[in-house]
Amino acid sequence: MAATFSVGIDLGTTNSVLASIPLGQEGATPEVVPVPQLTAPSTVEARPMLPSFLYLGTPEEVEQGIFRLPWGTPPLAVGDWARRQGAEVPTRTVSGAKSWLAYSRVDRRQAILPWNAPAEVAKISPVEASRRVLEHALAAWAQAHPEAPILEQQVVLTVPASFDAVARELTREAALQAGLPETFVLLEEPQAAIYAWLADQSKNWRKLVREGDVVVICDVGGGTTDLTLVSVTHEAGELVLKRLAVGNHILVGGDNMDLALAQLAQSRFAEKGVNLDAWQSVALWHACRAAKETLLAPAGPDSCPVTVLGRGRRLIGGSVSVELTRAEVVTALTEGFFPPGTLQARPARRAQSGFKELGLPFEADPAITRHLSHFLNQQSGVRPTRVLFNGGVFKSDFFRHRVLEAVGGWYGLETGALELDHNRDFDLAVARGAAYYGRAKLEGGIRIRGGAPRSYYVGIEATGPAIPGIVRPLRHLCVVPRDLEEGTELEVPGDTIGLLTGEPAEFRFFSSLTRQDSPGTVVTNWTEDELQETSPLVATLPPAAGGGSDFVPVRFHVRLTELGVLELWCVSAVSDDRWKLEFSVRDAEV
Amino acid sequence: MRLSQAFSVFFRILSDAAFAERVARLELPEKPAAPAKPAAVPPPARRHEALTLLAVFQREGRLVDFLQEPIDSYTDVQIGSAVREVHRGCRAALVRLFDPFPALTAVEGASFRVEPGYDPARIRLTGQVAGTPPWQGTVAHPGWEVRRCELPEWTGTAASERVIAPAEVELR
Repeated sequence: MAATFSVGIDLGTTNSVLASIPLGQEGATPEVVPVPQLTAPSTVEARPMLPSFLYLGTPEEVEQGIFRLPWGTPPLAVGDWARRQGAEVPTRTVSGAKSWLAYSRVDRRQAILPWNAPAEVAKISPVEASRRVLEHALAAWAQAHPEAPILEQQVVLTVPASFDAVARELTREAALQAGLPETFVLLEEPQAAIYAWLADQSKNWRKLVREGDVVVICDVGGGTTDLTLVSVTHEAGELVLKRLAVGNHILVGGDNMDLALAQLAQSRFAEKGVNLDAWQSVALWHACRAAKETLLAPAGPDSCPVTVLGRGRRLIGGSVSVELTRAEVVTALTEGFFPPGTLQARPARRAQSGFKELGLPFEADPAITRHLSHFLNQQSGVRPTRVLFNGGVFKSDFFRHRVLEAVGGWYGLETGALELDHNRDFDLAVARGAAYYGRAKLEGGIRIRGGAPRSYYVGIEATGPAIPGIVRPLRHLCVVPRDLEEGTELEVPGDTIGLLTGEPAEFRFFSSLTRQDSPGTVVTNWTEDELQETSPLVATLPPAAGGGSDFVPVRFHVRLTELGVLELWCVSAVSDDRWKLEFSVRDAEV
Repeated sequence: MRLSQAFSVFFRILSDAAFAERVARLELPEKPAAPAKPAAVPPPARRHEALTLLAVFQREGRLVDFLQEPIDSYTDVQIGSAVREVHRGCRAALVRLFDPFPALTAVEGASFRVEPGYDPARIRLTGQVAGTPPWQGTVAHPGWEVRRCELPEWTGTAASERVIAPAEVELR
């Protein structure tokens, strides 16, 4: 059956969103599909956003059926209630599974979440956590559109632009397990934000940008920041968009800002001699978020009380309160997160200690403008001319102006004309844009040219005499050039490499967001920032026909499919054999 | 043989009540035991939507805690700062579930003309109400109407139907 909808799914770190646009209908706009979810035990409400949190129930809770949904009773809760449980029952709640998918130092298919939970909690893997959230979204779709089964629709799932090939592969795996059709497409989130903007401007967009414009997309959500550059050029009489560069996945977001204010308020309480317990600290965090929104509103008051209510029935009697002034909130947030700085400013490095606790690499420097200036500085010869905002943080005029002033100051631009106006909800743009892109792919329409956002390198041990105690140096061979177009194949030129038959061959695998080498280049000089190691590649050659082991000379062969899936092969130089290299997602230390 | 047996049983049933009873019990072969149902989740009970609404306001704004607390002994300042939090949470829930808007599109204090055939459920008249419409008056309150009524669906069991907020026990 032909598809009747294009469905966009934003699998976010904090919130997921489901949107759709009917196919074959002129003038239709992408709209959000509300997702029924548990907002309390045994209470189901449909909300536009599905928080990407999972609460793993105790056996008693599962037995009582408190997780009942319109479509069944799973043994866990996904959504709003699970998010609130994250603060009150942290040992049984899984959050931020998406950020774990990008973290190569753990086995992402192993049951490790909730991280640091006690032994008796039945854990799940980051891949399974993502799968569960997607399953919930798909069940909501099936309920809203029983006449349009998801396996027959055009489906687009978004990932951060900074996700490398391994993280994308794992996302794909979780998606297929959840029940997405085989033909679903992965789209980068900042591109989805631009598509949402295009959807809302419809035919007028060509009047709002010019040839030569370079748009920097600044996406700051609850816990993550993603930066992308897109250029507007002229081709065959038409304006086209091309993705130029992508920044790292930075673990700083709106939650950090609320926590910073909570710290400030907590010190005020301490001055009054009031010590807050753990529950009150969480309530304080939420009260600070509300105070931030009140104080930073355009005509906001000069000061605002921050109150933590009494926990039991003595709501008023047990409440404690401090005042925060607008001036100190503005100072704390501007200095900490949006210092204007210079274009040359770089984020502070994390102090490397001998011992490191294993866990998500939370960012040492929360100054978003410093990350932005570092990213822009790395793109030599490119001057941004417009800014597109995305993510919950930029719902506030105050933060948008801080960034516009910073960028305007670095490049000598007027802040008034800098922003690409966004007249719809910042939280819902990625899903809506993904649905719009799916339709553009099928029915024709403006497309952003992209290709691989990273170049990839295989580490090969250099030959030479073995010296005891000295590790053989690695040669980094470029196998995938940055901006490799989707739907292309190439053979990596250069010398052949010998692989032993009958034994697994493992290659260390690296990627770079900044280097632009051509395939076959061997990199000898690089800075620490430039190359990032990810999961190794493994291929196992079957034993040679006559028994015994044999060296087979191979070259690397690369394919980037239309769906954006990266495939690497070892192709024999003397026969027609080829062997696929798989990502080995086990522990990095193994 | 069976024929004479059938006749003797026939007459015996008519005359002997106890025997008839035993035959009735003997009659049908045992039905095969119904396959044991897998331990099913207790089926959802129904509860009045007002209780679900009250649960929403307690969960999101702690309205019941607020209304149940005796406030006579507190100062206005104490009550005021706590009420801001209750207001914030309850208002968010109210707007999300009902989206209230004025029943009459008119500015408070502006003059208003009540036409003949007005709906008494929408316009309540006070003051010098005499004669027949049309009347001139001033809007003292534009009223409230809602755009929707979308309460969450409650899927709990009969045992906890009347519980609008569970007790909290913190474990260390």
